[in-house]
Amino acid sequence: MVNSYKMTRAAELEALPIFRDFLDSVCKEHGIGSEFRYDLKLAMDEACTNIITHGYAGMNPGSIMMEVQFQPSHIRLSITDFGLAFEPVETAAPDVNALLEDRVASGFGLYFIYQTMDEVEYRTTVDCNMLTLVKRRHAPDAA
Amino acid sequence: MEITEKDVDGVAILSFSGSLDALTSPEATDYLEACISNGKNQIVADLAAVDFISSAGLRVVLTAMKQTRLAGGDFRLAALPDGVHKVIAMAGFTSILKIYDDAESASSSFRK
Repeated sequence: MVNSYKMTRAAELEALPIFRDFLDSVCKEHGIGSEFRYDLKLAMDEACTNIITHGYAGMNPGSIMMEVQFQPSHIRLSITDFGLAFEPVETAAPDVNALLEDRVASGFGLYFIYQTMDEVEYRTTVDCNMLTLVKRRHAPDAA
Repeated sequence: MEITEKDVDGVAILSFSGSLDALTSPEATDYLEACISNGKNQIVADLAAVDFISSAGLRVVLTAMKQTRLAGGDFRLAALPDGVHKVIAMAGFTSILKIYDDAESASSSFRK
């Protein structure tokens, strides 16, 4: 059974639904449930949005390459771009007790990536930036 | 993304369908700002047909909440699919906005 899939698109916001549909489709083929699929799509969407709006800011959009690998114990998403390095550093949890007027809607993207994924790794070389997201298919203590 | 609108006793019920992401959220924000500047400050967003929301969609929700409340009204959500509800809850928004099972309950809540 094929366990690796790749898609490359220009780094434009129009690519977001295309990447999500692709990810959803290959996950369905592998019997991945809807909540798990939503988490993967959310993390991928937030990462790609950052690349499109920050990584390629002020330049012609290059590419985003996404690879999905299915392993028995986990799913690995690799997202490669060729723009400016933009490391998705883990952010603090939002203050759920803040009053409405004190809420700001920034920083949630990175927060969601770390909330939904089990591993987040970012590497940058002279050629490209690669973000690797891993989500385990079972809780560690249930495996 | 599509938005359809109906007015019930002065409450604007906006039914969203599709995705609320970085691509579509500017259009949603424009639509809501136009509603509010036209004097509609009691708004229900029926999200039953929304299949995906990201942090960009949350910004739309937060902006609409702030603007309607400044105008003396409110922005309430109805019929959240599981994935949408999870994102709203992860962001801690369940403590600052009112969520209903369906658009009718959300709409009638403005009359209580």
